[in-house]
Amino acid sequence: MNIAHVRNRPSSANSSVSFAKRPTQDQYKKEETIEEFEPLFDYSRVQPLSIVSIDDDGSDSEHVLKLSPKRRKTKYDSVECLPEKSCEVAKVIECDEKEEDWLLPPPVIPKAAQKPEQEDSTIKELRLKKQELASFAQSAEDVLRAVEESAKRERNSSVTASESEAGKPQPSKVHGDRVKIVISIQDKDELKQYRIYMDEKFERLFKMYAEKVKREMQSLVFCFDGDKVSPTATPGGLGMEDDDIIEVHVKSS
Amino acid sequence: MSGGGGGIARGRLAEERKAWRKNHPHGFVAKPETAPDGSVNLMVWQCTIPGKPGTDWEGGYFPLTLHFSEDYPSKPPKCKFPPNFFHPNVYPSGTVCLSILNEDSGWRPAITVKQILVGIQDLLDQPNPADPAQTDGYHLFIQEPTEYKRRVRQQAKQYPPIV
Repeated sequence: MNIAHVRNRPSSANSSVSFAKRPTQDQYKKEETIEEFEPLFDYSRVQPLSIVSIDDDGSDSEHVLKLSPKRRKTKYDSVECLPEKSCEVAKVIECDEKEEDWLLPPPVIPKAAQKPEQEDSTIKELRLKKQELASFAQSAEDVLRAVEESAKRERNSSVTASESEAGKPQPSKVHGDRVKIVISIQDKDELKQYRIYMDEKFERLFKMYAEKVKREMQSLVFCFDGDKVSPTATPGGLGMEDDDIIEVHVKSS
Repeated sequence: MSGGGGGIARGRLAEERKAWRKNHPHGFVAKPETAPDGSVNLMVWQCTIPGKPGTDWEGGYFPLTLHFSEDYPSKPPKCKFPPNFFHPNVYPSGTVCLSILNEDSGWRPAITVKQILVGIQDLLDQPNPADPAQTDGYHLFIQEPTEYKRRVRQQAKQYPPIV
């Protein structure tokens, strides 16, 4: 769904390239919810401009001024889509009522506060750069977290993660995070469980096991469903599932 | 044998297989037959029964095939060793004669595949002279215990473990 509706709006498709903080999954959810409800509750008719202009995040607001068309759309997509309409509506309300006090401050104060700083372009640039880098680091962390989650869950969530971070080098890690499986190794006396990657060769596990039982690996035979398991085989290759049993036999010769 | 009405039998067998994969006695094998094209036939299982340690059967890994009918688990599976398997209670065809596998005596639908296989392992070293199924094995067991032992050990060597 995300993919679809980002593409529907060409201008916001670029937004993922901007250095604004990457929308978290929650924000995506918010966005989705708004999208879904919009036709039912069209707030643009009842609410004044204030929603658009309120930005309580002081450090970012300068950013907002410059990049607002792109950046805001990722956050308040649906609300931002209707500026012209809401302007008209807002006017009407403004005239009728005496609520200027809660309408005016938000746009005015931040602007006034930030303006002087803009004069010193070097400092501003540095600060922007710093924010940029910070958001890079932040988003890199987010990616790693998202990737971990997505690997555990289904494909579509991993699509979301990598999609939102298009252009970053991280997505390659999506493929690096592998599925694990729990298998049991059973000898005559007991059964113990081990964790192994689905696409990992058994070699490491067998060696570890042999060391544990203090035997040569060559003196042990590992079987799955009655068939000998080669150290180069993988759980995935044998079609194994969680809790499947590999049996160990000690060669008698 | 693979009619469309086997929902109960197949459902039960799928459960049996699932349970087996997670837990089974050491040395035993029990898996549904797989055709060369990779399709699985739940109605026929290829199994291995290890000879009990400490008996003359030790060291042998005896192949056994379970044939389930659409009436399973109301009716027991037919359990077959290779033809001419040496044991007093195994017919020349290889079919095992055991009370729990007899619809009219010991079989109950609740008996699991694991219980069947363990029951047959027990039978190997504890033949039932009251219910002979082959002359060779029965006569030696009754009349020539030494020769009987020799034949059992010899047969165990005939079915070595996979190495």
